[in-house]
Amino acid sequence: MEPDNELIANALNGSLHAWETLVRRYEGRVYNYSLRLTGNRDDALDLMQDVFLGVYRNLSRFRGESQFISWLFRIAHNKAVDLARRRHANPVKGQALPEDPDAWPESQSSGSQWPGSQTSDSGPQELAMAIESNVAIHRLLQALSPEQRLILELKVFQGMTFDEIAMMQEISANTAKTRFYAALKKLRALMEGHHELSPNR
Amino acid sequence: MSCHRTADIVADYFDARLSPPARLAVQQHVSTCTDCRAEVAALAPAHELLLSWQQQPVPEWDRSHGPAAHQPRQPLVRRRPRPTWGHVGRWLPLAASLVLSVAVLTQTRLDVSAQGWQLSFGTSAAERQLQQLDGYLAEQARVQQQENQQMLEAALQQFGDNTADTLVQMADWFEQQRALDIQRMEAGFQQMLDRDYQTVNSVQQLASYVQYQGDLP
Repeated sequence: MEPDNELIANALNGSLHAWETLVRRYEGRVYNYSLRLTGNRDDALDLMQDVFLGVYRNLSRFRGESQFISWLFRIAHNKAVDLARRRHANPVKGQALPEDPDAWPESQSSGSQWPGSQTSDSGPQELAMAIESNVAIHRLLQALSPEQRLILELKVFQGMTFDEIAMMQEISANTAKTRFYAALKKLRALMEGHHELSPNR
Repeated sequence: MSCHRTADIVADYFDARLSPPARLAVQQHVSTCTDCRAEVAALAPAHELLLSWQQQPVPEWDRSHGPAAHQPRQPLVRRRPRPTWGHVGRWLPLAASLVLSVAVLTQTRLDVSAQGWQLSFGTSAAERQLQQLDGYLAEQARVQQQENQQMLEAALQQFGDNTADTLVQMADWFEQQRALDIQRMEAGFQQMLDRDYQTVNSVQQLASYVQYQGDLP
């Protein structure tokens, strides 16, 4: 398997094959990350395309000093925040559709980071993840702050070390650990309010 | 919560990337510290829930989207050299607006007169205008004052004339009355004198008569 840096160098030299290999290597992570945030297939695809477009545009600036995955997720996080801001400023979908009777109070009171996905098109069949736990994870993550979502994403789903996270976010490893602990506590508190989500039941 | 290491311990406990020696140390701490043990147990379901995420396959999509939407930058680089008059055209509007901005900011004033033209900056022009304005205002005030004075004088004159006429008439009337009074008084005195004279004559006649009666035997 070609290392990331080699693929990046070839992609910068105009090799479409190298670029596509690099994308295939990371698209699963980015797509599932997007799915956890947006809760539906179309929005997740849009966000993923946006992320890889950002990666391509900035590829020449990647110095190889940090891991490619942390550099990639810095872009992904920024794109997700941009998308949430755009939707918050112009929630056309959220206005037009009737309220979802199953919508969680936490989701609605959390400043609605993803207004479009809270309405009727966020039903399980539309989520493209008929798995109950995926729906639950998506909805719980919605109720967290962007900072808390990011730390759980990087630690639990991307399997980065606290030192890598600290370097990426320019914080201390201790701060990263404290954030992780706080995010986990918040998640647990949210689950308390909704017993049907507890995996023990 | 009395253990000050709980945040650290919990984070390490759920860290899949922790080194084996560090993991051993954390597990040792959790087995002896009731606070941390309770917290780890309480948060385990949340961590488990996150780990239960079912990875979803990526739908087919256009992976060359990036390169297609974003062409390499060589054409831009190649266009850069060759300084031509096109550059001047590009910078001219900026330069013009810069000059205008400076002119506005420094309050530049261009005075064109018969003697030629004069360029002045800053507050001097404004001050001169202010002085001119002060001059106009003073002149205006002076003219106004003069007009007021003339009007007041005319009014006083008229009022004075009228008053003088009335006084003269009054004086004439008083004079006439006085003359009449004097005449009447003189007439009264004359009558009184005449009566006195008659009385004196009567008394003399009486006296002479009394003397005559006395002379008679």
